[in-house]
Amino acid sequence: MSQVELRDVTVSVGAKVLVSNVTVAIQSGTWCTIVGPNGAGKTSLVEAIAGLRRPSRGTVSIGGRVLAAMNERERARLVALVPQHPVVPSGMTVYDYVALGRVAHHGLLRAATTRDRAIVDSVLERLSLGEFRDRDVVTLSGGERQRMVLGRAFAQSTMVIVLDEPITGLDLRHQMELLELLRSEVADGGLTVVATLHDLTLAGQFADRLILLNQGELVLDGAAGDVVRSDELAHCYGMNLRVIDVDGADVVVPVRR
Amino acid sequence: MVALSLTGLVIAAIGGLVIGPTSIGIGPVVGNVLSHLGVGHNTLSTLQSTVLWQLRAPRMVLGLLAGAMLAVAGGTYQGVFRNPLADPYLLGVAAGAGLGATIAIVDVGSGLVTPAWTPLLAFVGAMGAVIVTWLIGGRNSRSSGATLILAGVAVASLLTSAQTFLQQQSSGSIARVYIWLLGSLASASWHSVWIVVPYVAVCSMVCVAAGRALDVMSVGEDESRSLGVRVGRVRLVVIAASSLGTAAVVSAVGLIGFVGIIVPHVVRLLVGTSYRRILPISVVVGAAFLVLADTIARTVMAPSELPLGVVTALVGAPVFVLILSLRRPVAV
Repeated sequence: MSQVELRDVTVSVGAKVLVSNVTVAIQSGTWCTIVGPNGAGKTSLVEAIAGLRRPSRGTVSIGGRVLAAMNERERARLVALVPQHPVVPSGMTVYDYVALGRVAHHGLLRAATTRDRAIVDSVLERLSLGEFRDRDVVTLSGGERQRMVLGRAFAQSTMVIVLDEPITGLDLRHQMELLELLRSEVADGGLTVVATLHDLTLAGQFADRLILLNQGELVLDGAAGDVVRSDELAHCYGMNLRVIDVDGADVVVPVRR
Repeated sequence: MVALSLTGLVIAAIGGLVIGPTSIGIGPVVGNVLSHLGVGHNTLSTLQSTVLWQLRAPRMVLGLLAGAMLAVAGGTYQGVFRNPLADPYLLGVAAGAGLGATIAIVDVGSGLVTPAWTPLLAFVGAMGAVIVTWLIGGRNSRSSGATLILAGVAVASLLTSAQTFLQQQSSGSIARVYIWLLGSLASASWHSVWIVVPYVAVCSMVCVAAGRALDVMSVGEDESRSLGVRVGRVRLVVIAASSLGTAAVVSAVGLIGFVGIIVPHVVRLLVGTSYRRILPISVVVGAAFLVLADTIARTVMAPSELPLGVVTALVGAPVFVLILSLRRPVAV
């Protein structure tokens, strides 16, 4: 069954159309990455899937339920968002930050239950954040901080996690670690991941499927290997791209004309 | 910290009852209270008893209510707007109340007395100002808190200039308008206490209950929505409660400054950044602080009184600077 379904989704701000007529169905337990040049509409599409932007036309459904018909709390139990530039509130502990993910479950007027606290503890454990639990969030390094933001999304216990450029600003090792972690959640936990990534090599290696956006329109939708080798990809970026096979993995490199 | 602030509250309250030009000891006050309950015996003279129950007690209770409400409203605004400079007067409450009171005072012509309907007009002015601000900047749930703050600035400037104009037109009443604007508990009575109590009780409880929502909203509007918070609705409820409580208090005691901005910051420096702790403790500390300030205001230059707003700043600012320099920088 398709977990995330976009039907004819158009997102616009005033008269400006950011995403137009995108129709996509993403299967449960798979990873779909949205690629495309800057200004292609990736973030707008991701925000529509996370329910933060209401499409001006078309519908987004998750688990067969239309997002626009849900309130914030119901939606937050179905889809979690890892934003591109998360706000890190100084003075809050890592534990309290991750526990924000449980608010949609226990509500704003009730305290966290024993179960909520157990889930936060297990997330901290899973993301190796246990030793930081009482630290102020602003004292974490970039990699630790990004893991913590991911932890908040995990704590929401949703079927779908949407990530907007989750590895920006991380060094190579932390990039790989974060993506491997997500990959194992997809493989073992049945999680559905929708992400945007600028790095085409990593996009190709980690996603089951790539969606190529350009100027708000869906250009190509297919298996990761096919999309990175397509002429359309090079055309959208307006440059010469070469795909090299390194030990069975596709490495996408730009070549000067 | 909770125990400490409660102890401070009790000391401030007792101080508010026993300190003053007519000296009344703690023992006789306790004896008098007990005698009302049917135990022990009263040693106070009729004069002392009247001073205690008709002057100091209502004044002390009104001070507690006003301090608690202004402090919790300020803390709530700082949270909902994620702005350390927010105070309860941010959305035009003070300017609206000021205009309402000025209309009432100037209207009498001679300006020799502050008429009885001054609080009512002040209340109407305060709520009117907030409602106009909300209609301009907050109706659309997609608009950000910044739009609302700017709308508040515009409304406040407009009303303040109208108030100044009225005041200048009627030079005879300038002194009374000015005294009202600076805030005072001098006209406190049980009547004013009973009018203010329900507003402060309900509104401060709503603000305190919003602590968890404000903690979530510290990650910003979009992220709070993705975490399941109806940002627009929380903002409406919290602003309505803070404004209503503040308007009720301001209409009874005038524009007491400084409490709403400084108390929550002091509390934040002492207990950390979670609004679940800041707001309830601000209720207690705000109440204690205002009664303490009022006790100073009515005793240091007795029989004349210092304006309460002057004392809150005079006492509060050095305390705040001291704590600020001892602790880490302000984080909201």
